[in-house]
Amino acid sequence: MSGIVCAIRGGPESQSPIRHAIQLAQETGETIYFVFVVNLDFMTMTASSRTHILSDQMRQMGEFILLAAQDQAMQEGVQATGSVRHGNVSEEIIALCQEIEADYVILGRPRADDQPNEFDIARLESFIGQLELQTNTRVVLADRGEPA
Amino acid sequence: MRRSMSHWAIATGLLAIVVLLLITPAAGAQPVSPTVRELVVGSVKDKQDQPVIDARVWLTNTGQDEVLVETETQDDGRFALSIDDPGAAAFQQSLTLHVERHHFEPLAMELTIEQSQDIVAWEPVALPDLVLQRRISLGFWAAVGVFVLMLVLIATSKMHNTLAALLGMALVLGLTYLGSLIVPDIYILDFEHALGYIDWNVIFLIMGMMIIIAVVEGTGIFQWLAFFAYRISGGRTWLLMAILMLITAVASAVLDNVTTMLLMTPITVQIALALNMNPLALLMPEVLASNVGGISTLVGTPTNILIGSYAGISFASFLTNLTPGVLLALTGLTLYSVFIYWGQLKKARSTVSPVLLQRLKENAQITQPAHLKKAGVVGLVMLILFLVGEGFHLTPAVTAMLGATALLVWIRPNIEEMIEAVDWTTLVFFMALFIAVGAIQEVGLISAIADTIGWLVGDNLVLAMLVIIWLGALMSTVIPNIPFTAAMLPVIGYLTSIIPGAENLSLFFCLSVGSAMGGNGSLIGASANLVTAGIAERAGYPITYSYFLKRGFPALLITVSLATLWLLLRFLVLG
Repeated sequence: MSGIVCAIRGGPESQSPIRHAIQLAQETGETIYFVFVVNLDFMTMTASSRTHILSDQMRQMGEFILLAAQDQAMQEGVQATGSVRHGNVSEEIIALCQEIEADYVILGRPRADDQPNEFDIARLESFIGQLELQTNTRVVLADRGEPA
Repeated sequence: MRRSMSHWAIATGLLAIVVLLLITPAAGAQPVSPTVRELVVGSVKDKQDQPVIDARVWLTNTGQDEVLVETETQDDGRFALSIDDPGAAAFQQSLTLHVERHHFEPLAMELTIEQSQDIVAWEPVALPDLVLQRRISLGFWAAVGVFVLMLVLIATSKMHNTLAALLGMALVLGLTYLGSLIVPDIYILDFEHALGYIDWNVIFLIMGMMIIIAVVEGTGIFQWLAFFAYRISGGRTWLLMAILMLITAVASAVLDNVTTMLLMTPITVQIALALNMNPLALLMPEVLASNVGGISTLVGTPTNILIGSYAGISFASFLTNLTPGVLLALTGLTLYSVFIYWGQLKKARSTVSPVLLQRLKENAQITQPAHLKKAGVVGLVMLILFLVGEGFHLTPAVTAMLGATALLVWIRPNIEEMIEAVDWTTLVFFMALFIAVGAIQEVGLISAIADTIGWLVGDNLVLAMLVIIWLGALMSTVIPNIPFTAAMLPVIGYLTSIIPGAENLSLFFCLSVGSAMGGNGSLIGASANLVTAGIAERAGYPITYSYFLKRGFPALLITVSLATLWLLLRFLVLG
């Protein structure tokens, strides 16, 4: 197996990684594996006991976001699938790369503004190092998309 | 046959026990000694005319330390010194009455010669009300410090709400029991008194409603309603926004705001993405409407539950006194939302991709129709009981527990899953919070705040209403509204007792409106805001503090102004 892993959350920030993934898939002929990771850490300080309700709703929302990305890819003539996973974002991306023996992983660049983001630059560099160490995947950083 | 006999034996045994219990005098009913009489009676109050309970009251001969007789004040502040044959005892012709309680200046009152002579002659003496003056002790500053620390930890999300409240409670009790061993003046309140501050009506009402919510939330009704809104809006996004706001407001009036937004946000994001519009253009109006809509019923917000239980305001009273104001505020909020998001609403695409539309349909199905029907029937009966139960002393907490149990028995869910669905952390939060608020009440901070507001507003009910609404609204933007409301209840109770015309409980309704609508002023103003922001951020549409402030604060000004108009009209004009 091989393919291109593209981790997205949805929103305008994800457009750039999606476009990169589509372009790369067109060049290589590989399948895109869009991945959305459900992480409910934000509930820990407010409504931690309600995570059971939200988990399923977030999965459905993630599937919908991935479906929109798949739809976009297929309109460009590219084969794409989607996968919603639960847990730590870094660990889940690495796990998917290992499972499908991905050739590429497309990540968005961190935002420079004060908006919350999974990775700041230091964490991203650390994650890329970890990814390359544990998998044989090449990391491609996509430029930022249009701000929300 | 043998089994039947054993049933008879058990029944006979139970009957015998009941008969024995009925005919045996109560163990505590001791015969009263004919030589004991209540000779000195009176009551102890604070400066605000509130009873001082559990104050130690004792009598000495003037100038001597030996305690002749002592007692404690009851829940109404009254005391009665029961004296056994005073003439034969060590009573002299001049007696002094002493009153002492933590956080008050001790009082020593020399009785008149006539009063002392009456007591010695075994004649009852009724004393005028004794007023204790507050004392700012080290315990005062300790309790205030602990309360502020708890608020900061919650407001800044440095610690889970429940953990912060537990820490507050633990510090209060720790300082009382351990700290006072080293510095006696740091005493705040003991465990027995602390338990007395927990409002079990609130705890059981919330618990009952949580069980109902746990059943309803799994049925898919919210997702179905949101998709229904999309369908009937017919591509008119402003109408879609208005219907979603109405659904959220109504849902928040019967369920809690956090659950409503937990269920509405993911499906709203999907609808917005299908329409190629920014989901925040629907989510922000929804969460603002959620914070407003909950105000109209007793069970719509935790703050209303607190207020209703403290002031004895019924479900029907909340509904009739606040719903028109809520509808007015929602109308203003809808117009404001359409105005600020008009650009986004116009950008939406008119047709949706068939693939996405199909997925939307799948995600918006009723998943448990049988449970939904049963929950609907039980909910209707509960609504009737909430409305008429006051007539036969059926409290909302009992109605909620009856409804919850009936629903569980009817649908027979996995009981362990249901118990897990009850948000125990929130219940513990409330219990710990009650004790933390009890601590600042005990040491006199609440009295000081009540005095200050009372001094500011004087006898002016209009001014008092305005101060309560706007103070509540503005404070709730920076500190969590539940502890704020809990702390303000005794203050409002005091103001209600001293301001002419306030006996219609108007100030409590002002607190309800201010504290709940204030949640719209900032991202941290309400838990529903934080939950919505968290989900939106996970979908790639972050709601930052400044984003929320820019759109939420004007919404606060509009909705609170409209609700203020209604409250003034309702209580000052309509009467």
